[in-house]
Amino acid sequence: MAKIGLEIHCQLTKLESKLFCPCKADYRGFEPNTNICPICIGLPGSLPRLNQKALEKAIMISYTLNCEIPKKISFFRKNYFYPDLPKNYQITQFDAYGHTSMGYNGHISIEGKEIGIRRIQLEEDPGRLIYEGSSEKTQITLVDYNRAGTPLVEIVTEPDFENPKQVRIFLNILVDLLENLGVSVPTLEGAVRADGNVSIEGGNKVEIKNVTSFHDLEKAVHFEITRQQSLVDRGIPVELETRQWDDRRKITVSARSKEEEQDYRYFLEGDIPQVLLDQDKISNLKSTIPESIPSKKAGYTKYLPAQVANTIATDPYWSDMMNTCISTFQNEVTTQNEDYINSCITECGNIITTNLMGLEDTKEKREKSNINAEDVEDIAKAVVKKEITRNLSKIALQEMKKTGKPLSEVISEQDLGNISDEADLAKFIEEVIKEELEAVNQIKENPETVNFLVGKVMQKTKGKADPILTLELLKKKLVS
Amino acid sequence: MNQLVSKEEIDRVAKLMRIEIDDHVVHIDRVQKMIEYFDILDKAGLESEELIIQEQKFEDLREDKHIPYNEKLIDKLKNYKNSYVRAPKMV
Amino acid sequence: MSLAISAVDYVTEIKNGNITVEEFISKTIERIKKIDGKLHAFLSVNENAIIQAKEIDRKIKANENVGKCMGMPISFKDNICVKGSKTTCASKVLEDFVSPYDATVVTKLKSEDAIIIGKTNMDEFAMGFTTEFSAFGPSRNPWNSEYVPGGSSGGSAVAVSALESIASLGSDTGGSVRNPASFCSVVGFKPTYGLISRYGLISYSNSIEQIGPLTRTVKDTAFLLNIIAGIDSNDNTTVDNKEENYLNDIDAGVEGKTIGIISQMTKGVDKEVSSATKNAVSQFEKLGAKIEEVSIDMVEYSVASYYIITATEAGSNLARYDNIRYGFDFDLEGYEFNSYISKARKNFGPEVTRRMILGGFVPSAGHAGKYFLKALKVKNKLTSEINDVLKKVDLLVAPTVPILPFKFGEKIDDPVALFLIDFNTVTANLTGKPAISVPFELSNGLPIGIQILGKEMQDKLVLQAAHALEKTTNLPEVPV
Repeated sequence: MAKIGLEIHCQLTKLESKLFCPCKADYRGFEPNTNICPICIGLPGSLPRLNQKALEKAIMISYTLNCEIPKKISFFRKNYFYPDLPKNYQITQFDAYGHTSMGYNGHISIEGKEIGIRRIQLEEDPGRLIYEGSSEKTQITLVDYNRAGTPLVEIVTEPDFENPKQVRIFLNILVDLLENLGVSVPTLEGAVRADGNVSIEGGNKVEIKNVTSFHDLEKAVHFEITRQQSLVDRGIPVELETRQWDDRRKITVSARSKEEEQDYRYFLEGDIPQVLLDQDKISNLKSTIPESIPSKKAGYTKYLPAQVANTIATDPYWSDMMNTCISTFQNEVTTQNEDYINSCITECGNIITTNLMGLEDTKEKREKSNINAEDVEDIAKAVVKKEITRNLSKIALQEMKKTGKPLSEVISEQDLGNISDEADLAKFIEEVIKEELEAVNQIKENPETVNFLVGKVMQKTKGKADPILTLELLKKKLVS
Repeated sequence: MNQLVSKEEIDRVAKLMRIEIDDHVVHIDRVQKMIEYFDILDKAGLESEELIIQEQKFEDLREDKHIPYNEKLIDKLKNYKNSYVRAPKMV
Repeated sequence: MSLAISAVDYVTEIKNGNITVEEFISKTIERIKKIDGKLHAFLSVNENAIIQAKEIDRKIKANENVGKCMGMPISFKDNICVKGSKTTCASKVLEDFVSPYDATVVTKLKSEDAIIIGKTNMDEFAMGFTTEFSAFGPSRNPWNSEYVPGGSSGGSAVAVSALESIASLGSDTGGSVRNPASFCSVVGFKPTYGLISRYGLISYSNSIEQIGPLTRTVKDTAFLLNIIAGIDSNDNTTVDNKEENYLNDIDAGVEGKTIGIISQMTKGVDKEVSSATKNAVSQFEKLGAKIEEVSIDMVEYSVASYYIITATEAGSNLARYDNIRYGFDFDLEGYEFNSYISKARKNFGPEVTRRMILGGFVPSAGHAGKYFLKALKVKNKLTSEINDVLKKVDLLVAPTVPILPFKFGEKIDDPVALFLIDFNTVTANLTGKPAISVPFELSNGLPIGIQILGKEMQDKLVLQAAHALEKTTNLPEVPV
């Protein structure tokens, strides 16, 4: 039986500033070494300044993972030398004198299996090493400190996973959870990293590092289980060690020899006094935690099919918009009937998933977006009230996006409005009947031909005719 | 009598602290003298001591705001092409 | 115009137009040129001092706003960062380091129009008692140049005592401001921990050290404190002194106050020091204080605790000096990372190296419980004991240094003997209490200082007692 544990590092990319200084938390897009200051580059005499919101976000993660949260929080120094570590120590958390990190003894359920969360801690990311030059001999090592000091939340699980599949399920759930909480954008490169540890049949625990993707982690875990099993089968004990994932050969290799066992000399970070967590403040934070994805999904399935509900629920941007739409329409409960409200909400969901998501598929597009919940609501109402066909509502949306004009203007300017007035429709129907005599005559033998005529009416009206009403009127006319 | 500090121990610590030393004997002798002196702490009656640590309030922590540093720091450091810092190769 | 003027009197003279800033600064620069070749108080002198002086004179003449310091020449220990200035900590490892930013204390003094006259010599990285561990040669005691000036802020004490600057800022980790103040017959003050911002002070032992002024009078220390004390957002360990004015009521005296003589600190001291202490005590009695003998048992263990804690913290604080981002000239071509930095760090002086070895040893896995944890507990117990004593008495008194100033080379080889020089001073650092050394007597031309300690945040009371004692003295001028 395999026992697998995970160590996940999540960058708090949604924070404005780094963990200990006011440089930008999300370092992506900066020229090398332009997102730095005396603190994050470890200049002599510099001192760390703890970011309040980082603590808040970490507390929210702890809550969501059902952890206990200590009353006092401290930081520790982990001392080691590496070129990407400006102070040659990392400010992190450690439980030397009782629990003083962000959370402990938590748990989360994944498809029926409960996974223990051992601890959650805050720490700073080091800088990045870049290599210039192709040949290993002439290669030079360059350091970019833009990332140094970026806030990281480290989540350590108990070794409760039994197989790689559970690992994958957990990671997917965790990533959604982190995005939903609004603490991180997991799709950003390097924002969420995971390492694992594997042991089998009560043997030694092997750490696996240097895994660059969740996909690789799954493979690495699988490989490691197999490797350990084959050793055990031959009566060879599994060594307690750290192994690296070799992506090229798709195997784990021994990373550290015994001599280099790291002695981190952990001690309390004297430059950051212990933080007293105000219990009222903590309770307030708890109440700001956004609704969970499963809960949102359940709410949406009242109006939308499960797949559509899921798509919206897992994306905070769309679920925020959806929630606004739902709220707007539900507020009309005194003036509108339930069918109308439900139809509008359903239509909002459709507009979002069928049209809007495709138009605004990147972060940049969403940030620059001129389409808000109100616009979606307007379109939904127009469709439900049959002022515009669903097909033309798609065009209207594109036009609104392009011009920034509201729906009403776009409908009138582009003449997209439904022709749902029977008298207006009747004129077009008359014209088509006159023009398509042959088809009209075929109706008796082939009743399906009426659809052809509906198509012609749609053509004539440039799609603005209400197809259902058109069909109805055609049938009435032709039968008589 | 406390543990004798060995050359291996001094070697290990010098490596840990990344300092090249030639005069191991001096250090062995000195660290030995110091830790013998430190043994007086055993008489200090400390078993039940709790640790008092300086505290700060959550409200006093820094606001999460991006404030770019007002100078181009990389120019003031040892730099490579005014962009990067160069490090010796990692083995 | 005499250079032996106090800061407070200097301000009066400038305001009255009796002297100009340019005159005073020029005379100071002359003095430095004349005597510093021998005394070596300075590692670097401000080339632009006279130009800056002229500018302040211009502002005064034009009736513009001029800061409280009115151009007075202040020197800074070379572990305090001054923008654009070499800040070497008297170490080869930082011999080319030019700080890109100002320490908070520097910013504050600059904004009050102080002139930075130069950076003063010290024991390398503040580890030492005599400046004999400076990589650039020791400083000499102006009272007798064959004798040490004390340390580690030896250069600062010499500069103030030998009239090369009106005041100086040093740093005190275990006595490094008070000890040289005592040896050089000047006032040296270590404030309550957290009173003065450490932002820009190059850390040695960050949980116990403070920047402290060295001045010729107690009033001058109060004057400086008014400018540099107070909460700083750049240093999370600073405390709010509610903008206390330390000059107000400086003449309050000690009438009705209870003063405790710390028995552990008065036994076994040099007989001249003992006699001076008795004289000081009787002066306090004459001034109306009530005297008691008090015992603080944990003082016996304070030196051991101090050296374990400082070695551990220094081992971590000095890790960043790997010569990668800043430091000194040493080409890394052909080196591997660990061997490069180990070779670069070989340039630490012998005392720093010894402390690094100790600092790697005592907190390391296997030894931490025996040494480091015990040292922290001593710190704790010592703090409780002194707090208990300070409930019964208002102030504490002891000699600053148990021995008279000694000659160069006399003590340098016996580590434990050297450490015991700090026996009377480390307690104030370990417990965070304010402590001052007041020049009191000369014995065969060698200065003896008396130390006064107070409760946390009662820096003002300590200054009042010091001022009262100072008024009873009549010391000669420095013989240089």
